Amino acid sequence: MINTQDQESLLKLIADYLEEDITCVAIGGTAMMFHGYKNTTKDIDLVFKNKNDRNVFIKAIEKLGYSQKSISIVYKKDKLKLENKPLIYSRGEERFDLFVKDVFGFEVEFEEIIQRHDFIGKKELIIFTIQKEYLILLKSVTSREKDYEDIETIVKIDKNIDWNFIVDEAINKKKSNPWILIDLEKNMQRLKKITFIKKEFFDRIYKAEELTK
Amino acid sequence: MKFREGKYTVEKFALDYHLTRQSAINLLSKLKKQGYVIVSGGGKQKRIYNVYKLKKRVTNGFYDIVNKYSPKKLNPRFEHYVNGSYNVENAIIDGIKIGDIRTLDAVMYLFNHVKNWKKLFDLAKKNNLTNNLIKLYKKSRASIKCRKIPKRYMK
Repeated sequence: MINTQDQESLLKLIADYLEEDITCVAIGGTAMMFHGYKNTTKDIDLVFKNKNDRNVFIKAIEKLGYSQKSISIVYKKDKLKLENKPLIYSRGEERFDLFVKDVFGFEVEFEEIIQRHDFIGKKELIIFTIQKEYLILLKSVTSREKDYEDIETIVKIDKNIDWNFIVDEAINKKKSNPWILIDLEKNMQRLKKITFIKKEFFDRIYKAEELTK
Repeated sequence: MKFREGKYTVEKFALDYHLTRQSAINLLSKLKKQGYVIVSGGGKQKRIYNVYKLKKRVTNGFYDIVNKYSPKKLNPRFEHYVNGSYNVENAIIDGIKIGDIRTLDAVMYLFNHVKNWKKLFDLAKKNNLTNNLIKLYKKSRASIKCRKIPKRYMK
């Protein structure tokens, strides 16, 4: 577990050990902490533009004593078959999940950011955070129980969720991520217990699913 | 958070939540420490308390520097938080990277506040933006009253 302050100190420390300036996007618990939805997270999830940036980051964290761990402990078997798998590094209770370009087929946009966090040390580590709707989608894709809990946290705190945008994006990303609509629908059904989601959003998902068959 | 988001004065907050003025001040102060309230004003100005549902940090990045020094103010496209040393020189380079006309117009005024020309040109070189920087500086010199740059950087 790592809290907000420790996370920021750690990222600042990593910036001192980088050999090049790098830019990445925070997703998952890290992004939720930047948004203020929660105070602690188990893992720091980052998406890099390319493998070179990820390697630079890995070199820095290896100098700090982090070592690579098996991905199978964390993710389900069906995710392990995918081509672009994350690399996992940990040291004690802190863990980094490092992705390149996409998260299990869901391509992360580097342009549509709403927050930018600069950690300026010897080099610059720039971390973008994406909007909450993308966070919900990404949490749906990973389909772990704790990710559903995170979606619940967002929905409970923030009532202004743009479900229209979420469904639109899911339909757009269906080609690269065939399970996205099913995962999203499953989570939306569960969320109906705590929030109101219009029937038309479910209908659009079912229609989009039918079209693929 | 059980409080509604929005702008409050102490009196309005006390009235809305049925508190005495002193209790309202104490509560707002507590919420501010927790990160749910950002205060503006003070001194001669009336204090206005911005209450948020989520913890809010005060930004300290590009838009804060531009809006501090430039008469042309910008509406932030994103929240920018910096850990480390970030000053006018970094803001000029970020402005050029963002690149739209409004941003560049506002960034032009920052040349008057540059303290370290070497840092500015080093950053421009690192980002392959030296030509854009010189172009913006020349535009700035032509349109507003702007500090002269040491000649060695213009070669």
